[in-house]
This record gives sequence, structure tokens and C-alpha cells, in this order.
Amino acid sequence: MTEYAIDIVNVTKRYAEHTAVRDLTLRVPTGSVYGLLGPNGAGKTTTIRMILNIIAPDKGAIHIFGRSSNDPKITQRLGYLPEERGLYRKMQVRRVLKFLAELKGVNGTDAEKRIDEWLERLSLKTAEKDWGLAKIDELSRGMQQKVQFIGTLLHDPDLVILDEPFSGLDPINAQALKDTVVELKRRGKTVIFSTHLMDNAERLCDSVCIIARGEKVLDGTVTDVKEEHGQRNVALALEGDGMAGVAAILRDNTLVSRADDSNRFFEIEMAPGADPQMLLKRIVDSGASIQRFEMIQPSLHQIFLQKVGAAGVEEGMSGHG
Amino acid sequence: MAKLWAIIKREYLERVRSKWFLIATFFGPIFFSAIIIVPAWLASRSKATSDVYNTTILDATGTNFGHRLAVNIAGDSTNPLPAVRVVEPSELTKAESVAVHEVMRKEHTGYIVVNQQTLAGESARYAGSNATSIADMAQLKAAIRQTILASRLEGVGLNDEKMRQITFIPLDFSTERITERGRAGSGMASVLFGFAIGFLLYLSIVIYGQTIMSGVLEEKTTRVAEVVMSSVPTDTLLAGKVLGVGAVGLTQQIIWIGTTYVLLKLRAPIMAKLGAPTMNFSLPDISLMAGILFLLFFLLGFIFYSSLYAAVGSSVNSESEARQAASPLMIMIVSTGVFIQPVLLNPTGTTAKVLSLIPISSPIIMPIRMAVTGVPPLELAASLFFLAIGCLAALWLASRIYRVGLLMYGKRPTMKEMARWVSYSR
Repeated sequence: MTEYAIDIVNVTKRYAEHTAVRDLTLRVPTGSVYGLLGPNGAGKTTTIRMILNIIAPDKGAIHIFGRSSNDPKITQRLGYLPEERGLYRKMQVRRVLKFLAELKGVNGTDAEKRIDEWLERLSLKTAEKDWGLAKIDELSRGMQQKVQFIGTLLHDPDLVILDEPFSGLDPINAQALKDTVVELKRRGKTVIFSTHLMDNAERLCDSVCIIARGEKVLDGTVTDVKEEHGQRNVALALEGDGMAGVAAILRDNTLVSRADDSNRFFEIEMAPGADPQMLLKRIVDSGASIQRFEMIQPSLHQIFLQKVGAAGVEEGMSGHG
Repeated sequence: MAKLWAIIKREYLERVRSKWFLIATFFGPIFFSAIIIVPAWLASRSKATSDVYNTTILDATGTNFGHRLAVNIAGDSTNPLPAVRVVEPSELTKAESVAVHEVMRKEHTGYIVVNQQTLAGESARYAGSNATSIADMAQLKAAIRQTILASRLEGVGLNDEKMRQITFIPLDFSTERITERGRAGSGMASVLFGFAIGFLLYLSIVIYGQTIMSGVLEEKTTRVAEVVMSSVPTDTLLAGKVLGVGAVGLTQQIIWIGTTYVLLKLRAPIMAKLGAPTMNFSLPDISLMAGILFLLFFLLGFIFYSSLYAAVGSSVNSESEARQAASPLMIMIVSTGVFIQPVLLNPTGTTAKVLSLIPISSPIIMPIRMAVTGVPPLELAASLFFLAIGCLAALWLASRIYRVGLLMYGKRPTMKEMARWVSYSR
């Protein structure tokens, strides 16, 4: 087993109008759950497509499990769930799945057996109803998502690539997806997914990479990234009145460089050199009733906003990113 | 290779299983037989129908002209004899009005008035529901002429037997075509065959080209394309689609041609059921070589057009956009279709020769020419050569547009953008 499932070195991809990915270097350790974070149009999908060898980089090299990404044998170890989902609408579920498995080099008999297992596991095949015999367009959206998910995992890939896997999932399927990611990791598989939902990334990922405008902003394990960004954050929860006074204190930029206001809950980033004790004192003095005041590690969400900011989002580049 | 096979298999099985395929395959032979049998049936209509026997003859000549005419109309003793009413010239108007009402009640098809002017060879009259039938009228007119002639011959003293011998002319006029290679069987059959071949190729290129286009579009809009592209190279995907759908087209044509052939073999009983006399044409002999060449033209023409259709399908985002974007291809095919008839009429002319060298039209025009006339081997070779080059160019162009287009969403690309895609590495 090689150390890195994905090894991207100095990769650049240009289109006529813009550079989608610029000099990107990132390494995904084998067996980890890796989050590729960034705003729309940041270059996540382009990066994923290059990993999958759907498009070729203009510069740089990509290795998957130590082999060049254009090695035809490597595709059989990859499973891919694209961002927007769909399947052959008029085709029977089982036949779609078998087709997808065959493209990954699984032989027919094996495929049939695995399809049965998966359909049962995701309760698409029960004593009353075998959805495997239905056509795709007879399935509900949730069921179609399950089928697509089966298609991604049917050939038991070592590296699973999920592009925005949580978009459009209902809470039950989203939970099933998280469970599966955890299960995959337990079995030593590598999972990489792109998302702009920081909460999911923070909970699921061992490591993350934030990219914006085609460039890497930061990467590393979630723990390292958080530590690097210091213990300079304060979680503050208030109850009752006294909001007005607190709001004024949070606007004081000698004390606070950024405050993420969620009405009764604040995530506060201290200004350089400012003393959290001073902040606490002033809030107490203002007469507000404090429910919680805690030095915390910044959330990925905070780090993301701090590093990327609103400027990182370019308009109208979704789908090319 | 296994992956290419998986793609071909999916394309083939999914389409062959579809209802549309079953319906088209079933109705195809009926349709094609109809194309061949209906003109023959219509041609048989140019022989008079049995309507002529159901005529009333109003005989105001005062001779036995009416009876003689009835015998001549019937022709031979197996046909029913038209009714004859001998009327006085003064009562003719009344008799006619009775006859009109009989026709209106459909008791008879019509009536003939013969009188002194008829005996003099000047005039006769017919009124009836089939008055517009050229063949029926021709038959009646011929019978009247024959009867007048008989009456005159009798006037110069010939007996009945002699008279019948002289006037009996059961002429059967058959036609046959001569080509550079000699006699080619019934001319009608050869043209029909050429038309059938041209029409079949034209139809399958249009139908299966569009099938490929919407298949590609479906894969793009559902993003299945991305999943497939992460498993196989785009060229393999394109090749698999073209080959898979091509195999569907070939299957359909083999069924069509096979069953049409059987239906035509059985045409005698079918025509008999339709009440039409059996057509006397032989199907043109197709040599094995010609069969192989037809197949080759079909496959190359199919590859040429379907790869371009695939490129169009990959560059657009919806069916309506696809229809618009495919219009240049449609124009190419339809303008070829426009030339089918002129080429059939003049298969060795300059137009036919030029059109069978251009890859856009040669897959349809050349097989038509082969069906109706002898084509020199050099022309065949040149046609195939240019078509093969055209195919390679189309495939090259299509695969380059295809692999970029499949990943491009949003607005429809301009021609300029598509030209730039062609230059993209990947």
C-alpha cells in the first residue's frame, strides 16, 4: 500500500477564458477521509476530473496509488459520484448497475451477486418489492440517489471520490452516506469529497484542503489546520437582554477582528494581541447575561471565511470549476 | 476491449428491447411491401376492373349491335355479360332516366347509349359512377370500336367466325429495361428496388443518427457520461455508441429486408387476395459482391453521420437545442434525399457521378446507382475511398468535440468555441 492515495504535484489546468486550477499540489494519505473545500468555481470539480483522468492537466503530474492517473488499470480502483446525479431513465435498475460494474471490470456473475447484496442493504429489495426490476424513472428521487451510490461502490473501489455528495440528499440519505463513509474508512478505503458545507467536512474529514480561484489556500489534517489557526477564538452564548451593548463591544476592532453572529451564539476571533479576559470583563460590565464563554479552536467554517472571504467566490463559474 | 463490449452491449440491448424498435421492425416490412405492391396494384388498376361488366347497354340502333357489344365487353365467356335493353329512339330519354336511377341505387355502374351515330362510327355515350376511370373507359371504347368494326365487316359479307378471328386481338404489352450489362428484368422492378434501397439508407441514417444524438444528450444531461468517462476513454465511449446503435440499425435492416423478401415471394397470394392480377416482375438478382458493397456503404455512411450527430448531442444541453444544432446535418441528408429521384431517372448522368463521390451524399446515392445500373469499378473504388476519408475526418472531429462538449454545461457553444474545442488537448 502506497503512502498516498492521491499525489498531485504542481498541476495547472487552463481554459480559454480562465485558469481553473493553478499550480496545485496536494496529497491525500491512503485510508483517510479527505475534504476538498472551496466556494463554487474554485476548481474543485476540475481537480476531481483530473484525478479521474476525465481531463488531462496542462502541467504537472497526478499519481493514484503510486501509478500515473492515465494508467487504464487504475480506473478500476476508483469510484466516482458526480455532483449532479442521474442515470439512464428508461433502463432497469439492475441493468444500469450491472453496466456500471462491467465498466469497472467486474464480471457479470459477481456483479449480480453484489447488486443483490447492495439492494438489500439499502432496502431497495424487500420481501414485498424488488426495485431492482423497476425502471430508473419509476423510482423516487431518494431511491435514485441510493442506486447511484450503489453504482459508485459496486466494484469495491479503494478510492471513492464524491463530488458534492450531500447536495440534494434528504436527511435520511445524508446520514446513510455519512455512515457509509465511516464504514469505508474502517475498511481501509480512501474517501475524498468536495463540499462547501463546512459542518459535514469538519465532522467527517481527517484532512482537508481549501482551494479558491484555482489555488490552494491551505491544507493539512483538520487538527493541524485548527491548531495552526490558534486558540484565539471565543464561543459566546447569551441569554435575555443586553444584546445592544454586546454588539457595540464586538464592533471594537482593537479587541475583536471578526465575529460570526448567529443571534444568540457568537464565534469570535480575537484581534491580534487582544486579551480574551478583557473581552469577558467588558461583556460582564455591559450587563449581559452570559450562558457560555469558552476559548475554542476555530471551526472550519471560520477558517474558511477568514482565508477565502467573500472575494473567493467568482460568479457564474459553477460547473467549470 | 471488455469495456467497449459492455458499452456496445448496453446500446444494443436497451434499444432492441424498446417498444419503438419492435413496432418499427414489425411495420417496416409491411410498409416496404406496400411501397412495392401498391404501385403494382395501382398499375393493375390501369387494366379495366370488373365494373365494366356491370354496365347496361341501351341499344337504339335497331340491330343486334347491343348484344354484340355486350359480348365484346365481357371479352371471354368467364366474365358476366352486360345487360342489354333494346329501346326505340323516341323512348331513349325515358330509358336513360330509368338507367340513371339504377346507377344512383347502385344496381349498375353505368350505361352506354348506342344509336345510329354509333353504327356510323361517329359517337356513343357513357354515363356512370366510374366515368373517371381511364382504364374502364378505354376498355369500353375499345369494345365499341371493335363492335363497329365487326358490324362493318358483316356489312361486306364476312361470316361470324371470320369476323371474330379478324377482330380478336388479346394484346399483352410488357416492358423490359436494357442496361449496359444487358437486359435487367422488369424496368419497374429495378427502379422500385433502387428507390427502396435509397429510402432505406436515408431513413436509417436519419433515424439512427438522431437516436445517437439523443442518447449522447441523455448521458450528458444525466451526468452518466462523467461516470462512464471516469471508467473508459471518451473515444471508446463514442466508438461503443456508434457500433452499438449501428448494430441495432443493421439488425433492423436485416429483418426488414428478409421479411420484405419473403412477403414479395408470397406476393402472388397476397395480390390475389387484393383482387389484383399477379404482377409479372422478377426481383433483380443481387450478387454477393453487391450485397457486401451495400453493407459497406451503409456502415460507412452510418459512421459518417452518426459520429457527427454524436458531436452535436454532446455540445448541447436540451432536446430543443439539439434539434436546432442538428439542422446542418439534416440539411445535408435532406438535400441528398432530394436527389434520389433525379438519380433514379438518370443514374449515369454527371449529377449522379458527382454526388456519389461526395461523402455527404455517396452513402445514399451510390447504392441507388448500383441498384439501377452498372457502375464502373473505378467509380465504386473512388466513392468508397472518399467516403472512408470522410468517415475518418468525421470521427476525428466528432471525438474532439465530444470529449469537451460532454463536460461543458450552460449556454450552447458558438461555432467559434466549438472550433477551439477541437484544438484542446483534452
